[in-house]
Amino acid sequence: MAIAFVLNGTPVELDIDPDTPLLWALRDDLELTGTKYGCGIAQCGACRVLIDGVLTPACVTNVGSLEGAFVQTIEGLSPDRSHPVQQAWAEIDVPQCGYCQSGQIMSAVALLAETPNPTDDDIDAVMERNLCRCGTYPRIRAAIKRAAQISQAQ
Amino acid sequence: MTLELNRRRFLASAGVALVVPIAIPHVSFAQSVATQFNPYLRLEPDGIVTLFSPVSEMGQGTHTGHAQIVADELGVDISTIRISVPEQPAEPYRLIFGQMRSVGSFGIRSWIEPLRLASAQARTVLIEAAAQDWGVDAATLDTENGLVRSSDGARGASFAELLASASELRLPNAPTLRGFEGRRYVGEAVPRIDTPQKLDGSAVFGIDVRLPDMLFGAVRLSPTFGAEVARIDPSTASDARALVEVPGGAVVVADRWWTAKQMADGLDIEWGSSPHANVSSADLTAAMRAGLDQPEAPAAASRGDATGALEASAQVVEADYEVPFLAHAALEPIACVGQLRDGRCDVWMSTQGHDVVRVALEEATGLPASAIYIHTTFLGGAFGRKTHGEVAVEAVLASKAVEGRPVKVVWAREDDMRQGQYRPAMTARMRAALSTDGSVEAMHIRLSGPMMGREYSHITIEDGVDFFSHAVLLDQPYCETNFLLDHHEVTVPPSTCPWRAVSSSQNGFFLEAFADELAAAAGQDPIEWRRAQLADRPSHIAVLDSVARRSNWSSPLPGPNWGRGVAIVESYNSRVAQVVEVEMLDDIPVVRRVTLAIDCGEAINPGQVRAQMEGSIIDGLGPALRCQITLQNGGTVQGNYDDYPILRIPETPEIDIEIVNTGAPIGGVGEPGIPPLAPAVANAVFAATGQRRRVLPLAPDT
Ligand code: FES
Ligand code: FES
Repeated sequence: MAIAFVLNGTPVELDIDPDTPLLWALRDDLELTGTKYGCGIAQCGACRVLIDGVLTPACVTNVGSLEGAFVQTIEGLSPDRSHPVQQAWAEIDVPQCGYCQSGQIMSAVALLAETPNPTDDDIDAVMERNLCRCGTYPRIRAAIKRAAQISQAQ
Repeated sequence: MTLELNRRRFLASAGVALVVPIAIPHVSFAQSVATQFNPYLRLEPDGIVTLFSPVSEMGQGTHTGHAQIVADELGVDISTIRISVPEQPAEPYRLIFGQMRSVGSFGIRSWIEPLRLASAQARTVLIEAAAQDWGVDAATLDTENGLVRSSDGARGASFAELLASASELRLPNAPTLRGFEGRRYVGEAVPRIDTPQKLDGSAVFGIDVRLPDMLFGAVRLSPTFGAEVARIDPSTASDARALVEVPGGAVVVADRWWTAKQMADGLDIEWGSSPHANVSSADLTAAMRAGLDQPEAPAAASRGDATGALEASAQVVEADYEVPFLAHAALEPIACVGQLRDGRCDVWMSTQGHDVVRVALEEATGLPASAIYIHTTFLGGAFGRKTHGEVAVEAVLASKAVEGRPVKVVWAREDDMRQGQYRPAMTARMRAALSTDGSVEAMHIRLSGPMMGREYSHITIEDGVDFFSHAVLLDQPYCETNFLLDHHEVTVPPSTCPWRAVSSSQNGFFLEAFADELAAAAGQDPIEWRRAQLADRPSHIAVLDSVARRSNWSSPLPGPNWGRGVAIVESYNSRVAQVVEVEMLDDIPVVRRVTLAIDCGEAINPGQVRAQMEGSIIDGLGPALRCQITLQNGGTVQGNYDDYPILRIPETPEIDIEIVNTGAPIGGVGEPGIPPLAPAVANAVFAATGQRRRVLPLAPDT
């Protein structure tokens, strides 16, 4: 039976094995490759998306559990990179290889939604599940603080 | 038009036997007058400049640097530049050792002159075309913002208007280069040109490529190094589109990757025997340690009489060091889309080893180089690992098995971590004779471990020197006379592979951890001792002075369980010094602060130099503190980030960076930040505890 949910504001139906991780459904069936595979075991955060507003690793979330859910991926953040987190990321020039950055940005979005003015400890608590082998952590921290300012100015 | 090769590069590569015709990518719209001025630059009638960069973008920022260089020299806005990595390796795209590869921190230092020259050639003929058209002296014209302008500002024409007539002119071999004065981009912290795509998921990495009609492949690879498939029961993958045997395993092809992966995991495979089936890290370490005790080993460098001087010396310092295998663990795992049909082979991949991939595909397909096309995507990290072509061969063999449909093969993280290509494990015995003033009268360095150069055909091990094993030590700066570097070779089951900074990564640790012991034995401050030994090297002194000052080297630390350590390593023609502050918490070093200074000559993009230094510190801390690959029963124990724990954000130390420029030639930037880090941490641990830790990682169980 097809699974119906809302993806970045658009209703979608998927008729696939309900045990398929959302990560692979997004990448291979729905052709949204901004969500990345890094580990498959909820260790790296490259696949983090928002499900009903909650930050979730898509690699360990089966599509069968998504009936009626609202799923947001990096592609649904803004049509023009204008989300405050994207603006801040551009200003600080955060990415190196960029592969981890969709997950980093989604995590920052979730963090700021909960905690508009995060302390370093708040940042650590959410962002520690996102690995970056290129080592962009100092810029991520700076960009989150900058994004908080941009959001508040709006 | 005739194509003018960059003359200097052409001459530099003379003597390389293989000459491949230059591949000129097709002009995208036939009726246009897009002009390919040389192997590096094509100007489009819509004002776009296509820059054919021989270097892949893996996060190191080279594409931005190349765009800055071309924009300044040609006279265009940087936003008009598009970068394309050539689809076929050719002489103008090869490094000095005859390979098109994105390695060795060569990205800027090797290509700045060819790109300036290519840009100046194009600028010269554009100006010449305008001068002829307007009947004026070319010397009164210049370029800016994609226009040729007269110096009085009275006349102007866009490059697009001049393309047709400029393309009739002969390119000058030695055009005038612009000076570095008044540059708009070079020397500035220009934002990366690839940042926008990396903010909204639109950047395409190898793993993201999607082609019409494409199928997906998952691998099942041997759990033991050196074992091949003996027998596969195909019935366990009867729903697969194809089951393809490949070197070291099999690929299962299906309509979706997840499905293919389930089938690959469920395959009933009997593996053949391997000579390495019982090998463990403990055995290898024992063999390497035994090599340290051998009376002799082949020498890589020998001057004076190190052995005699050591025997005669009143003060000999000796210490053994060890480092483990390391995995690359780039966030993007190994992946490739391959297609083999109509006598043509195409791969889409995140590769940094174009000639390696080409050779692997020639062998696997029997096709000539001219029929092989490598479409380079962004690389989701590489660090040396993505030089190799095994996944390209797998994807192409899989495509062949499904009538030439494209197949995307993706390795799981565990495949990536367990299939070798490691930074080699190595041991070193360091011995030095100190004179009364603390200077080094004699030094003998014995390495025992693999010689990675054996795995590379393009560089041979000559006179005992292996450039993949002996960097930093060959030209160590501490002992001019009586120096011996020898290497007892121990072969190891996993393939070894350049890992960020290659042998400088371990040799920097050996040398600088030992230097600290020498300073202590001489009763001198670690920075003062280094200053004295390096006094005739102004760049070394400049970076040492910088970190001494900015770290407040002599100031008190917050507590008794804190320590400060220093290290300085020259690699890739850049000098980097670091001061690390650690706090010991229950015997575990926590790195609180890192002060770094680099002299890489002219910094083309100081913002990206900083980014590479920040990244090197964070990247280097995982292996310095706790990451390692260990072997058991001929296979790798670790498989994912849970047991190969690279650094996480809460552990990021406070970082201070200074870029100093003593006027040295341009050096590398992507790798030189790594080698001084681990020894500086180890030296800080000594300062905090009085105990030497000579084995990496320093805190393996954390
Ligand atoms: S791929 Fe999901 S957390 Fe790593
Ligand atoms: S930017 Fe490369 S892994 Fe984070």
